[in-house]
Amino acid sequence: MRAIPLSFAAVLSVAVGLGGVLWSAARAQSTQGDTPAPATSQSSGRLSQSDIARMLPATDMGAGDFRKDNPHLHQADEGPATPFDAAPIPHNPLAPQADPVGARTCIACHSLENVRASHSLHVQSFRAGAANSGPQAACESCHGPGSEHAKNPALAGSIIAFTHGAAADVHTQTAVCLGCHAGGARQHWLGSVHEARGLSCSDCHNPMARLSPEGVLAKPSINEVCATCHKDIMVKFHRRSHMPLPEGQMACTDCHNPHGTLTRPLLKTDTVNETCYTCHAEKRGPFLFEHAPVRESCLNCHDPHGSNQQTLLVAPLPMLCQQCHTMTRHPNDLQVPTNLGRGPNPDERLMGRACLTCHTNIHGSNNPSGSRFHK
Amino acid sequence: MRTIRPMSCAIVLALLAGAPLAHASDGSDTMRVGDMQYGNGLDPRGWSPLMTPDADGMSWLHPGMLRTPSGALYPYPYTLAGKPLGQGGDWTYWGLLQLGYIHLGGDSDAEFFRQYTDWKNGAVLGLWAMGFDNRATGGYVEFRGSRISGDDQYYRVRAGRYGHYKFQAFYRDIPHTVSTNAFPIWQGIGGGDLTLPAGLTPGGSTIAAVQQASDAAPRRTIALTRTRSGLSLEGQLYRDWIGFASITNEERDGTRLWGGPMFFNFAFPGTGSPFGGNGGVLETVRPIDFTTTDVNLGLRRVGKVWHFNALYNGSFFRDHKSTLDYQNPFLITNVIGVPNAGPVVDGEYSLEPDNDYHNLRLELSRQLKWRGELSLAAAYGTMRQDDALLPPVNCTGTLGFAAGPFQQLIPCELWNTPAALSRTHANARIDTQLFDAKITFHPGRNFGWHADLRYYNEDNKTDYLAYNPLTGQYGYISENGSQGSVVPGEVGIFDNGYYATSNVQVANVPFGYRDTLLELGADWNVGTSDALSLVYTFDHNQPRHRERTRLDEQRIKLSWVSRSLGDATVRASFEYGDRDGGAYNHDPYEAYYSASLPGYTPADGIAPTAFTVDAMRKYDMSDRKETKARVILIYPLADSSTVSATFYGSRDRYDARIGRQDTRSTGFTGEWDWQPAPHTNASVYIGAETTRLKLANVADNEAIVGAPGSEDPSFGGPLYPFENYWHDLDRERDYNAGITFAHDFGRVKLDLAWNYTQSLSQLDYDYASPGALTHPEAAPLLDGSFPDNHYRSSTFDASLSFPITASVGVRLFGRYQSGSFLDWHYLGFDDTLVYDHRIYTDRGPQMHYRAALVGAMLSIRL
Repeated sequence: MRAIPLSFAAVLSVAVGLGGVLWSAARAQSTQGDTPAPATSQSSGRLSQSDIARMLPATDMGAGDFRKDNPHLHQADEGPATPFDAAPIPHNPLAPQADPVGARTCIACHSLENVRASHSLHVQSFRAGAANSGPQAACESCHGPGSEHAKNPALAGSIIAFTHGAAADVHTQTAVCLGCHAGGARQHWLGSVHEARGLSCSDCHNPMARLSPEGVLAKPSINEVCATCHKDIMVKFHRRSHMPLPEGQMACTDCHNPHGTLTRPLLKTDTVNETCYTCHAEKRGPFLFEHAPVRESCLNCHDPHGSNQQTLLVAPLPMLCQQCHTMTRHPNDLQVPTNLGRGPNPDERLMGRACLTCHTNIHGSNNPSGSRFHK
Repeated sequence: MRTIRPMSCAIVLALLAGAPLAHASDGSDTMRVGDMQYGNGLDPRGWSPLMTPDADGMSWLHPGMLRTPSGALYPYPYTLAGKPLGQGGDWTYWGLLQLGYIHLGGDSDAEFFRQYTDWKNGAVLGLWAMGFDNRATGGYVEFRGSRISGDDQYYRVRAGRYGHYKFQAFYRDIPHTVSTNAFPIWQGIGGGDLTLPAGLTPGGSTIAAVQQASDAAPRRTIALTRTRSGLSLEGQLYRDWIGFASITNEERDGTRLWGGPMFFNFAFPGTGSPFGGNGGVLETVRPIDFTTTDVNLGLRRVGKVWHFNALYNGSFFRDHKSTLDYQNPFLITNVIGVPNAGPVVDGEYSLEPDNDYHNLRLELSRQLKWRGELSLAAAYGTMRQDDALLPPVNCTGTLGFAAGPFQQLIPCELWNTPAALSRTHANARIDTQLFDAKITFHPGRNFGWHADLRYYNEDNKTDYLAYNPLTGQYGYISENGSQGSVVPGEVGIFDNGYYATSNVQVANVPFGYRDTLLELGADWNVGTSDALSLVYTFDHNQPRHRERTRLDEQRIKLSWVSRSLGDATVRASFEYGDRDGGAYNHDPYEAYYSASLPGYTPADGIAPTAFTVDAMRKYDMSDRKETKARVILIYPLADSSTVSATFYGSRDRYDARIGRQDTRSTGFTGEWDWQPAPHTNASVYIGAETTRLKLANVADNEAIVGAPGSEDPSFGGPLYPFENYWHDLDRERDYNAGITFAHDFGRVKLDLAWNYTQSLSQLDYDYASPGALTHPEAAPLLDGSFPDNHYRSSTFDASLSFPITASVGVRLFGRYQSGSFLDWHYLGFDDTLVYDHRIYTDRGPQMHYRAALVGAMLSIRL
């Protein structure tokens, strides 16, 4: 017990120490930032609205011309327009009069965004779409028609933004994504818990840069994305028994579909058990003799997110079993420390794996003599 | 063990489904279970070496990074520019090869150090990642692979053409170490036939000999490896129709700790005989030798109005070692005091049978006006197995005893043959049906409602009667014949003769249930920054062959999402549930016991002993009141950091005098993320949680079993007296903390990470009188608590990366992990694994360990 304050004192000490290091680093960085840097690296100064208006081409036509003479700038695609031209340009309710202006107009200012987005599967898809015809609307396929934004870039809501503080509401944002990504894995998005909690697609995904191996995620891995809100679940995976998420062998989305499913915990299958059976197919059976709570739900005995008991159990053995088993004779005795290995009355009902040492086939037995899971 | 070829069938199906693929716009990965993550202990992300933030950041127009709508910072984008492949072509590529060497030190065999990572000294492939893109056609090929050892590696290739099709193939080995501290005495570990070593006499060894064998047993690791491979293909078949087909195969190979019952030992402690007491409790080791093949097929149509989804999942499990035979070292004697007819030598387990599973789901949804949607789904599933059944025992000769009125002989030849079974195969089957209908409307931007009706039925069609046509007897041979070799009348058999008073299970119980759930919900947008929702759920469950035939639960959930508290996003919810149901029958299993058969004769005219106490309420069947609350906060702090926190709690109160009574959980996590510039980021998190679980039980008065009063199930009656009442209170406290820091100094990049977990659990007990104990005389030694269990793990990672040339770099890294552990289940096991007629195999996880790993990697940008 005394280890708690000690350990937390250690944590605090390290945190404070590291805070000092970070503060020093931040100051050093700040100092470093004061020194002149090459022009192409200066990204810290905010542009004024007049700066932007002066830089922006009046129309899409010729928007990238100035780049041709500068080998250091990314060359705007001169090919036939957008790639995924079948993608509709969404209506922006906050700029109903806006018209599309074309990707090259956007890139005139958002050139670095264009570079970053080029690394993401999402924009690569637009670039290399099947139909190479139609308006050059790659950016506007998601952000809506850009003419109002081009006229007044600082006007909130002039395009559909997907980031914090965006004027576009979450419904408008998700409607844009579902314009192409409806159905399939997102068949049950509407009414799902994440939809109901006002999450936008861009809370978990960032199609503007390649930040993850796949899935155009908002963080480098699926588990880190989920931990943004569900850190309490993620830390349970550091307990004594856990599934191999911290070791990189599994992701939350192995079991859950965050886009909505037919179950409240967003499981991919019809029931909890069917999800578990996908990896633990041996427990599917059916067995000659079934154990009622096992067949009903694995969660009756296991916490799949982590436990300090063996094999993800929700309570220590034999107490886990004694919550239900009062049957006459051996199940209902109170087990106490004198029944442990070092006690005067060692008792197999408490030691080691307790009940499971004898009732080992607890998930079900296929043995004609296995009605009590002994066989 | 039927021979089918699911893999070949699936490949044919997959090819048939995939052959005409033309266009695709979307992936179905999050519809299928498993294989969403490829990483390992060296790099859980499977991507980290490629995470080199570009100094230019994301935009020329603003500094720093933008945030998610909820307020979390996006990471700075990474340097991933492709290089031209050849000259004048449309292909570009990028790649990274990281090779190196790791060296282990300290207690590298510690279970918690290598639970899911097969660390070994030697060369490792940190990451090999390559990508090829064709900007003109949208063609792409990507590969990632990593190898720590032959049991811990992955390789995955994805290829396709954007908008056309996608192909994936993978191979991976996933290790799982269960124990590194096992000392099984048997020979043949890993197989299905465990035999005793020389020096032990099956069914007749002295305790000293067993102790000697245990002491001499070599240390073993109990572990398994999952070797998975898979193929998938997805693409647009015709216009809006998209199809996918995938097949995965898993070979699971290794061992697990297992059991071996030869009747109780606690009731028969040694009395000074060199052969010890009686019974036998054996912790054995079983083989794992599974093959599971999964086939997924999907077809969907995504139109502007209609969305259709058809999914098929077939899973075929095969157990290549479906039995475990083991030898018993202990001498088993009867309580009458006469010699047994023969020693109890052999025990046997049926391991998991092969099984086939099919599930077909059809989903259809239609967009409606008022931003509405009608969604219908129906699924049918079936899981089946028809393995050959083992005979009730695998003994030979005759077991049991004969003395006076106790003519309790078990002729093995009448029970060790399939002819002793009512049928030779299991013919087990469970069918499931699911139907879900949901309608949603948002007539205005500020108001919406939905209704959902879900029906699920699980129908167990298995029907097995335990009847031996050779003897005309019902029931089974309990615990390999050991119970019948000890106690008169307790073989497990019922007949109209000697065993006419025996009340034993004679048929399987086909558990199942039907669940109907109705949900009604409404949501309001209060202004532009706040949203409230209210959901009412009525869950009507009809279990079959359980203590209740009806369970009804009503839940109401109120949620609030706010973006009006400055820049913060708050998501809060409160939920209350109330479950009750029909009358509780503490013994719904009478029909499956021999007392229900003709000819059953109560011993001495006394009804069968009560099955259980009538006050027991199993926690999945009891009345329950549940309260849950959760608040999730994400708060942007200045331009470059984020504070996030979660507060949560739950309370469950069960209306049970006997059984689970109460569970509580309260917790908090807090995190601070900081990324002031592309070359610097840091994070700190802490978390704490407390949980408790309270249960109560009552020890029966075994002195009256078989006597008048033993048929009385009432709490407070002669069999379950109040004075034998007891309860346990399990309390647990968990603490977590972690720090990460990364900074690129230009010439060198430093990465530091520390992760800490500590769990403490206390189990307290109380009892009305020493009558609750097996050994009342021990009461003066008790203080109401078990020794505190704890689990602590601290992992510190550090690495230094520096370039040698523009494309070659070196990474030096190290990990130091320490931990401590105490679980009272294993107390004393370091001293001995033999306790009279009990022999254990696993000493349990190491109580203290310190393990270190150092390594060097050469990174080559390809």
